[in-house]
Amino acid sequence: MNISPEKSTWFLFVQGDLNIFSLIFKEYYPLLHNYGLKISNDIDFTEDCLQDFFIYLYEHRESLGEVNHIKSYLFISFRRAIFKRLKEKRKVISLENPYERIKKFQFSEEELTVQREFTSIQKHTLSLLLNKLSTRQKEVVYLKYYSDLKTTEIAEVMQISYQSVLNMLQKAFINLRANVEDETIRAILKKT
Amino acid sequence: MACELVMKEENDIFLEKLLDDSSFKNWVYKINKNDIVFWDAWVKNNPDKLKLVYMAKSILLGISFNRDLIYEDYVNERLSIVLGKIHPVKNSNFKIYKDKARIKKLQFSLASIAAVGILFLTIFFFRDNRVVYKTGFGETLDLKLADGTSVILNGNSEIHYEKDSPRAVYLEGEAYFKVKPIAATKAKFWVQTKNLKVEVYGTHFNVRARGKKTDVLLDEGAIELVFKNGENKKMVPGELVSFSEKQMTHDKINTSLKYATWKNDTYIFNNMPLIEVMKYIENTYGLPSEFKNTESKSLLISGGIPNENLAICLSAIQKSVGVDIKITADKLIIN
Repeated sequence: MNISPEKSTWFLFVQGDLNIFSLIFKEYYPLLHNYGLKISNDIDFTEDCLQDFFIYLYEHRESLGEVNHIKSYLFISFRRAIFKRLKEKRKVISLENPYERIKKFQFSEEELTVQREFTSIQKHTLSLLLNKLSTRQKEVVYLKYYSDLKTTEIAEVMQISYQSVLNMLQKAFINLRANVEDETIRAILKKT
Repeated sequence: MACELVMKEENDIFLEKLLDDSSFKNWVYKINKNDIVFWDAWVKNNPDKLKLVYMAKSILLGISFNRDLIYEDYVNERLSIVLGKIHPVKNSNFKIYKDKARIKKLQFSLASIAAVGILFLTIFFFRDNRVVYKTGFGETLDLKLADGTSVILNGNSEIHYEKDSPRAVYLEGEAYFKVKPIAATKAKFWVQTKNLKVEVYGTHFNVRARGKKTDVLLDEGAIELVFKNGENKKMVPGELVSFSEKQMTHDKINTSLKYATWKNDTYIFNNMPLIEVMKYIENTYGLPSEFKNTESKSLLISGGIPNENLAICLSAIQKSVGVDIKITADKLIIN
């Protein structure tokens, strides 16, 4: 009675059900694609990686071990796959460090929408502020607010502790908040 | 320096609490009036925590990204490439989209197909702004609500709540609640039945609303009942309240009291006549009972009867009172 829908979905996937495989593919391909693109900044590379990743998943489905949450499992393993591929690429191309060469997790103002609550900040400023964060802080921000992962899932994906994720979020927002005014809180404090 | 570290740790703990707190979230997203009033006042009275409140609010609201994802056609095209590259023949269990039913299923979302596949008769759907969970006869359902409260729904039962107020649920049938206490805010949780409302902070209890009667049995913590006529009644652990339009009984559970409750997939009966026990079975599994012999109606049952499924449940009853129960298509026959 404690089988979650996700577990049953994964069970059917492991059974080789191609309908379920297709559903998982359609559900997560867009998110993983965009995540890969943020890491590698290279669309062809991301496409190759992601295709091979799904093929690998299907062909090795019986030896993947226990999967409780499909989404975080896919993020964890796709991240691992893409970093491995980047390393190989680095060996082939040059001695240059791709981690430095590639600008990871750059945010453009077109990607962002501004919240009603924060009236004093503009999209352009927001993208500038975000891009000033460290790569890992940006990755946390991206996984949380674009990919919609929970804090515990981000910790798993990035292989850091829950507390570090929280600290990184705090650091990111300290930078942002210095430039942001919160109308709601100001209004509450004004009321007597 | 050491002092600062301690402060930082305390602040982190408080921040985590705020981030987990459903009432605080309601304030941030402006979705529950009570919570908005509460937190507005709280912010005013705790200026030293302002920075943390600010931080928690920022983290919850976060950064909004445009969610333009890739075109569906593009994803489908990629999918067909990938499907062409994998070798399904390796696996004998493999089924190509043979019958229409399976293809049709594909159009459902991932979540609904999984629910359809596993929960069988269980219906789970959103109607406008309402979340509904419903079990068929003989099913139970483990639920985790948005605020961390766990609910085990017995067979032939339904709970629903409005998305805006996930801590106020309406119950028809029977359910066992483990309400998650929210210490920082003391946010309440309500269970409404046809004739009364149970008001709680964080506790474990069973509610059964069948027919015109509602029974509430409290296992842990404290709860308060609010009746239709506006009267209130506080309950302490081990107490059982039965309420119908006509009368109310209020008892402390003891070895001689006649009562029934349900938790962990087990019915717990004490001094219950068989005929009433069979009423529970009928409510949960949808099969009425027919007694071939009137004397067996008054046989008393005491003890736990597992109700994971009908066969196990009936065999436990047969053993405990020494009757023979036959299952037919539409009823149970007791000899």
